[in-house]
Amino acid sequence: MFDLLPARLEWYYGGPLLGLLIVGLFVLANQPLGASGAYVQTSGLIRRRGGVVTWRVWYFVGMFLGGVLVTQVLRDGAEIRSGYDSLRDVFPLAVVIPMVFAGATLLGYGAAMAGGCTSGHGMCGTAQRSPASVAATATFMATAIATTLVLRLLTGGDL
Amino acid sequence: MKLNLIGLVFGAAFGGVLAASNLHEYDTIHAMLRFDELDVYFFMGSAIAVSLPLLWLFEKRGVNTPFGGRLVLSRSMPKKHHWQGGALFGVGWAMAGTCPAPALVMLSSGAMLSLVAIPGIFLGLWLRQRQTTGVLVAGDGEHRETVSG
Repeated sequence: MFDLLPARLEWYYGGPLLGLLIVGLFVLANQPLGASGAYVQTSGLIRRRGGVVTWRVWYFVGMFLGGVLVTQVLRDGAEIRSGYDSLRDVFPLAVVIPMVFAGATLLGYGAAMAGGCTSGHGMCGTAQRSPASVAATATFMATAIATTLVLRLLTGGDL
Repeated sequence: MKLNLIGLVFGAAFGGVLAASNLHEYDTIHAMLRFDELDVYFFMGSAIAVSLPLLWLFEKRGVNTPFGGRLVLSRSMPKKHHWQGGALFGVGWAMAGTCPAPALVMLSSGAMLSLVAIPGIFLGLWLRQRQTTGVLVAGDGEHRETVSG
């Protein structure tokens, strides 16, 4: 709407800012700035399970609203599109949709098994100096890079 | 109540930083995993470089948090499920080119394939929960005692 932000914020602003958010949530509430836990609580609410941690659901809503604020209000307003540009350059939608769904299911399952995702283990866990988080992070980094390499080889370097 | 507001504000700030850094775009994640650009590694590295020493200091000083008692960091030793879960997560991350927080931001940016990714993430988390106790915990990356509202 307002075109106030650059097309992409440089990492040396975004990274340290995120670091301060991690510290802020610990200092205020003694909680990690994770993401998969918010999904778990939100799905608990949807399924009307007991013991839902309400603030994590608000946090889930917040992540979406923060995205709206940046992509639609502070920036020039992104239009409706499919996303996944470079993947769609290589594969038709009939391949892209099942691939994204399978990947998302796998990463959800893995995050639940490992007890955290890129934010929970990768950043917050590492920042707490937890050996388990460092192990999980090193593993998912390695398998993600290896998977990307395999996809690249399978597509003859197109992807 | 105040904790809900903190959740909303920190969620929004987190989502906002991810959006501003374009981490909700498949192309950004894919370029990172292909080593076409290193920005995302620097992004994650600098977030840790800022938070790790500050958290260490605050824990050592025994800071009392207004909404969560005394600041305690948790550290656990790696177990089999960390390696296995991490390995599966990485494969899925590379295939879907997104992870839980960026997928929500992807939806807010109008990219409709997020409507494929987000249900997939919910399904995966649920499938694992069904196999275990079914308790509403994400695990020890987000392992804290839950404080409610």
